[in-house]
Amino acid sequence: MTQSNVTTSVNTETSNQRNALTRLASIQSLQIALVLLVIFLVFSLLAPTIFPQWSNLRQIVQNVAILAVLGIGMTFVIITAGIDLSVGSVLVFSGVVSAKAMQALGSQGWGTALVGVIVAIGVGLLWGLLNGFLVAKAKVPALIVTLGTLGAALGLAQVITNGVDIRAVPKELSDTVGYGNVWGTTIPLITLIALILVVIFAVVLHKTKFGLHTYAIGSSEEAARRVGVKVDRHLIAVYALSGGLAGFGGILSLSQFGTTAIAGQSQTNLNVIAAVVIGGTSIFGGVGTIFGTMLGLFIPAVLQNGFVIVGLQPFWQQVAVGTVLVAAVFVDQRRRNAATRGASAKAKNSLTALWSKKQ
Amino acid sequence: MASTTPILQAKGLTRSFGAVRALDAVDFDVYPGEVVALIGDNGAGKSTLVKALSGNLDLDAGEIYYAGEKVELNTPSAASKLGIETVHQDLALAPHLNPTQNMFLGRELTTSGVLGKIGFLDNKTMRARSQAAFDELGATVRSLSGPVGAMSGGQRQAIAIARAVAWAKGVIFLDEPTAALGVVQTKNVLEIIRRVRDKGVGVVFISHNMPNVIEVADRVQVMRLGRSTATFDSSKTNMEELVAAMTGALDGAGA
Amino acid sequence: MKSNRHLVFLTTIGAVAALSLSACAAPSGDGSVGEPDEFNLTFIQGLAGEEFYITMQCGVEAEANKLGVNVNTQGAAKWDSTLQKPLVDSVVASKPDAILIAPNDVTAMRAPLQAAADAGIKVILVDTTVEDPSFATAEISSDNTGGGLAGFDAIKELNPDGGKVLIIGTDPGVSTTDARIAGFEEAVKADDSFEYLGVQWSRNDPAEAAKLVNAALAKDPDIVGIFAININAAEGSATGVRQAGKEGSVNVVSFDAGAAQVQALRDGIIQALVAQQPALIGSEGVAAAVSALKGESVEKKTQTGFQVLTLDNIDTTGQDYIYKSSC
Repeated sequence: MTQSNVTTSVNTETSNQRNALTRLASIQSLQIALVLLVIFLVFSLLAPTIFPQWSNLRQIVQNVAILAVLGIGMTFVIITAGIDLSVGSVLVFSGVVSAKAMQALGSQGWGTALVGVIVAIGVGLLWGLLNGFLVAKAKVPALIVTLGTLGAALGLAQVITNGVDIRAVPKELSDTVGYGNVWGTTIPLITLIALILVVIFAVVLHKTKFGLHTYAIGSSEEAARRVGVKVDRHLIAVYALSGGLAGFGGILSLSQFGTTAIAGQSQTNLNVIAAVVIGGTSIFGGVGTIFGTMLGLFIPAVLQNGFVIVGLQPFWQQVAVGTVLVAAVFVDQRRRNAATRGASAKAKNSLTALWSKKQ
Repeated sequence: MASTTPILQAKGLTRSFGAVRALDAVDFDVYPGEVVALIGDNGAGKSTLVKALSGNLDLDAGEIYYAGEKVELNTPSAASKLGIETVHQDLALAPHLNPTQNMFLGRELTTSGVLGKIGFLDNKTMRARSQAAFDELGATVRSLSGPVGAMSGGQRQAIAIARAVAWAKGVIFLDEPTAALGVVQTKNVLEIIRRVRDKGVGVVFISHNMPNVIEVADRVQVMRLGRSTATFDSSKTNMEELVAAMTGALDGAGA
Repeated sequence: MKSNRHLVFLTTIGAVAALSLSACAAPSGDGSVGEPDEFNLTFIQGLAGEEFYITMQCGVEAEANKLGVNVNTQGAAKWDSTLQKPLVDSVVASKPDAILIAPNDVTAMRAPLQAAADAGIKVILVDTTVEDPSFATAEISSDNTGGGLAGFDAIKELNPDGGKVLIIGTDPGVSTTDARIAGFEEAVKADDSFEYLGVQWSRNDPAEAAKLVNAALAKDPDIVGIFAININAAEGSATGVRQAGKEGSVNVVSFDAGAAQVQALRDGIIQALVAQQPALIGSEGVAAAVSALKGESVEKKTQTGFQVLTLDNIDTTGQDYIYKSSC
């Protein structure tokens, strides 16, 4: 036996190294939270009697609720290195089928409303299963599959309704979910519903086997397959989740708008994807958090709200959101390059490294 | 060598890909607590043999025995269930996951009770066990919470081997374990191989590095053109003989 | 620490960017109701960047200047109630004295605008309207039904012998275009010499309209007339007719008179334009808002007229009716 010079045992990590590496993981969320905070502070300074008031903040959180629900599913999908462009159309389609079902039952009463909810989620799940099956089993790229279902779902919605919106929604839904508050407060009920879902699925993503396998498949589908993770089944489940949540979004939208709004949700899929990416989830998979997605949702929403309040032209709003999106992906790229090259913690986060030769 | 029954024995393995005979009536065996090096030139059939013995390849003919009993290795999970683990050249690690998560991927431990049934992970236990596994092998893993993608090649190799060892009861296959490693990291990996052997697990490794082979293997199996052509006792052979056997200068010679 | 430096860098950039952008901002109310002559109005277009609404904005701004009130214009990039609602909510939060708005949907926008009215903001509905607009201070729009009728009359004049006619619509459920379609349909159904092929929905997208026209002409090559319901439908229909090589055999009558449509009129691809008076709608809207804020009485419903433009009058009396692309 040759003399062994091997250093023994796992070093109980020196506190410096653990801090550096775990900080790397959380630094993305920190940066995004900081950006949101800065935007918030700036607008608070510019319009102190309007912007930071609850009357204003209340409508912001009410209007992001549906996007938040969709954002949950999209986070899971993008972590697997996939994408779901169909969420807006599935939302509309689910709303249409749900409205038709409720209409058949008379469009009133909590029983009808409950049927509407179940139908909406179920229909969304079916579209999600279709997406997942085509991605996992037929091996069609997710971009193409969901581009196809985007068109198909919307087209079918128009066929079913002949292009005419259904404007009969049970009053119970619009009064409570659409515009109602949590009992005894002025917090919008729709926001609470979204928040509950966000918390539940954040726990699933970060604390369960299902969540871990989502990250594993996004990180290396091959590695996951080799160790026996049922990749195909998991991908189908993830896309089904996205579809089901889009379906739930459909009934929420019905409650909020009182109509199927077939011509609506035109930018929803891109807005949700932008939120997920701004929030730190990598398009290439393996990394991301629900919390980040929520921050990513608020940044464009707060930007738009702030710009309207200070009176900025609408087109500047789009420029600003586009800039934040590109900046977010840029930061993610640098972080990934640094991580995979195993560069030292110091060089990773410096912007000046951009200009230096040492990459 | 403690036992007289090979932990894994293959007789007459044959497989063709079209007109090419990748495996031609190959016999192979490995005993518990033994390190066997599998060497041969490119295209000799080493990877094919490993694939066949780890459940990743269908065979045209031949029989495989595990601990004396005839078995069918149709899938990697069939091989895993018996206690055969493989570390391929790409290591099959998920770069964004940390060493513990990679160690337990596909075999996660869940908490007890209702929460466990819906899949809540028992991170604490998994962390402790992976720490113990790395300790046992003398593997230097600087952090259990950083992504493995950020770690050096040597550390990643150590993690991959530790994962295989943790789950393998009988045999582990290593495909070019030191190919991409520097001198110090190679030494560490060879030491890990020795410790695995000392646990009583059989180790089969493919390598092009003759000095490594001679240093750590107990036995050397040479393959050429799909056939198993020679076996050497590593303590009684040298580099020239091995290379000659690989290139065919010593066709027919035995151990 | 490099990472802290990075965070500070981000913070500074963010603050500088936001502050410099705010310098471009138009003056806006800080929420307090000023003196009677310092009213703050917000005009929410149905669709930002569309000539009809740009012309309306010109009318709004001109009247606002005249009356000495402040006005701020907002609008979403697509005709989409899910985009307009957050916009309206943000505007309501900034507490202007009055809102002029072209709602994207008769149902979806009702509740947000009711909320605005409940908050004490005067709501003037311009162009489009909502279900049960009793909360609104005033509604001002073109006589769209009459406009649809005029559109049919123009088609009849171009095709005295009758034939197949088609409507290229935008989205159902929009009050203005629904009224135009209703006006046209009433007239065409009363006239036996014309065969009505129905409405195709172009989703307010010119490219979609072009596709629909191509498909329709492929199916019925003997279509004699197309009524395009608004500026985007018209642009697309003109393109579609040209692509199908049917200039001259298909008469296109379109609502609205944007630059591209006027050019198509001159080129002979569109035969007549039914021009609305968006600037008038805008200025009437501002006048109504200011009157209401001063406590004076306001006309609840006002209908503005239209003018049919053809090659005969486009360079003379028609000039004033052409929509603007900038103020």
